[in-house]
Amino acid sequence: MTGISVGLNCPACGGSITVVEGEDTIACPYCSSTLFIEGDEGVTTVAFRNRTTKQKAVDASRRWWSSGWKARDLRRVGKVTEVYPIYLPFWRATTRIAGWICGYEIRRHTDSKGRVHQQKIPKEVMILNDYQFSEIAADPGDLGIRSLRNFSGETSFADFDMIPTFEATTSRDDAISHARNKALSSARSSARVPRVTMERLHILPRRLSMVYYPVWIVRYDYRDRKYLTTVDGVTGQIISGRAPGDPLFQSLAITAGSSVGGLLAAVGIILSDVAVEMMIAGIGAGVGVLYLTYRFFRHGSEIIDGDFRHKPASMSETVNELRDVARSLQGAYR
Amino acid sequence: MKVVQVRCPSCDSPIYSKQRDRLFYCDRCNVLHVRDGGVEKIDFEIAEFASEPPGEKVYIPFWRLYCSFVIRSKSVEGEYVFRLASWMRGEDGSGTMFIYVPAADFDTTTFKRLAIDFTVSSPKYNTRLNFGSIRRMPTAMSREEATELADFIIVTMEAEKPGVLQQLDYTLTVNGTKMVYLPFGVGPNGMVPAF
Repeated sequence: MTGISVGLNCPACGGSITVVEGEDTIACPYCSSTLFIEGDEGVTTVAFRNRTTKQKAVDASRRWWSSGWKARDLRRVGKVTEVYPIYLPFWRATTRIAGWICGYEIRRHTDSKGRVHQQKIPKEVMILNDYQFSEIAADPGDLGIRSLRNFSGETSFADFDMIPTFEATTSRDDAISHARNKALSSARSSARVPRVTMERLHILPRRLSMVYYPVWIVRYDYRDRKYLTTVDGVTGQIISGRAPGDPLFQSLAITAGSSVGGLLAAVGIILSDVAVEMMIAGIGAGVGVLYLTYRFFRHGSEIIDGDFRHKPASMSETVNELRDVARSLQGAYR
Repeated sequence: MKVVQVRCPSCDSPIYSKQRDRLFYCDRCNVLHVRDGGVEKIDFEIAEFASEPPGEKVYIPFWRLYCSFVIRSKSVEGEYVFRLASWMRGEDGSGTMFIYVPAADFDTTTFKRLAIDFTVSSPKYNTRLNFGSIRRMPTAMSREEATELADFIIVTMEAEKPGVLQQLDYTLTVNGTKMVYLPFGVGPNGMVPAF
C-alpha cells in the first residue's frame, strides 16, 4: 500500500512540494524551510484523479458479465443504458493499537484409551500494530460500495468541476469511532486468546483523511430488468455489480447437489456397521452439500458482487459456516 | 489545507530543517516547540556525550514521564517475579518512577528494548545547552501518545519472562513530562549509548 500525496507550493520560496496524506510537517526540498500543514481539525482532504474513460468502464462491465455463473446470454442480450462518473467520499483512518492481552486456552485431547484430558495453556500476547480503515462517508444507496480497496494513484482536484460529487454526510467523530472499534476488534482476533483474564489496550488514532474517489456507474437492462455495475475510476476494475443468474445452472446445481448429498448420506448409513462416526460424518456431509445446493438455487437468480446491504452470504462464507457447525458437532460428540 | 512556514514562537526566526520532525527547534534561541492544536513550548534537556561512541554521533529523543502508580494485585502462571516492585521508589506496591518512551520512529523491537532498558535503569548524564553540529533524530510521537504508551511499557516490563502474566491490577498517573535528547553512537553494530 502506498501513501496518497498532494502537490502544493512552499510559502517561503514558491518551490513545488509534495505532502503525503496525513503528514502535517515537511521540509522544503529547495530552501529547507520547515513547513506546517494546517488542515480542518487534522483532516486532510484528497481526491484521486479519474483515469478511466466511458468506453473502458463499459468494457470492464462486459468482461464481468462473462465471468462466473451469470446468464450465458448476458453479453448478447444485455444493453447498457447509462454510463457516468461520480466522486464518492470516503473516510480513511490509521489507528495504532498498543497493549497486552493475557489469558488462557483450554485444549482437549483424547488418549489411546479414549479418555479426554484438558490442558490449560496460559497466554500473554503483546500488540503493537497500525490498522487501516476506510468507509464511505455518504449513503451509497444501491451502489454496493462501503469501503475503499485501492489507496494508490495520482491525486488531483482537476476533475472536480467536471464530475458530480457526493457530499459527505457522515461525521468525523463517527468515522474515528468506527476505525477504533474495527482496530480493536482486529487486534483482539489477532491475539487469539480465547479466555481473557486481562486486557490493557491503548488506541492511538494516527491519521484521518477524507478521500474523494472516482467511480463509474454502468446501468444496463437484461430482459426488461435493470442492473448495474460500478467501475473503479483509478484502476478500471469492477467494484460491485448485480447481474442475472442462469436458470440452467440453477437446475443443474439442484440435480447434481441432491444426488451427491443423498449419496454421501447413504454411504454414511451403510458404513454405520463399521463405526458410528462414519455414519454421522456421512449424514453431516450429505446435509452440508444439500444446504450448499439450496443456497445456490435460492440465490442463483441474481449474482451479486460487492458490499450490498442485503447481500446473501457467498459460497465460501457458507462453506466456512458449515465447517464451524461441523467443528461444534465434533466437540459435542466427544 | 494551508501550508505555513514554521517560525520560532520566541524570536520569530524561520526554522530550517532537512528532516521532518514533530518538534521544532530554534538554534538561535534554543527553544523547542510543538504545533499540535496550537503553538506550545516544550520543556527539554540535552544530555552531554560522556564518551566517544563508535559510528556517527546522534541524539535520540525520549519522552521522560514522571509517573506514580499503585499496584493492587498480580497473577502469574509459572515462576513469579514481581519486577516492578524492585524498580520503583516506594513501598507496599506503590511508588514513583521515570518511564522513558522512545519518541523517534523505531520498529517495535527497538522501541520495546530502549523503553525497558532506560526505564529499568534511568540514564545519568550531564546536560548541555544546544545540539552543536550533532544530528538529532526526528520526533515521531506526540506527548499524548507517549503518555498512553507509558501504561504499555509498564505491562511489558512486568510481562517479561519467567512466567506468563494473567492479571495486573494497578493505577498509573503521569505527573510530568519532559523531552530528553540522549546521546548515542550509530554504526554498523547498531546504537550504542554514550552517556
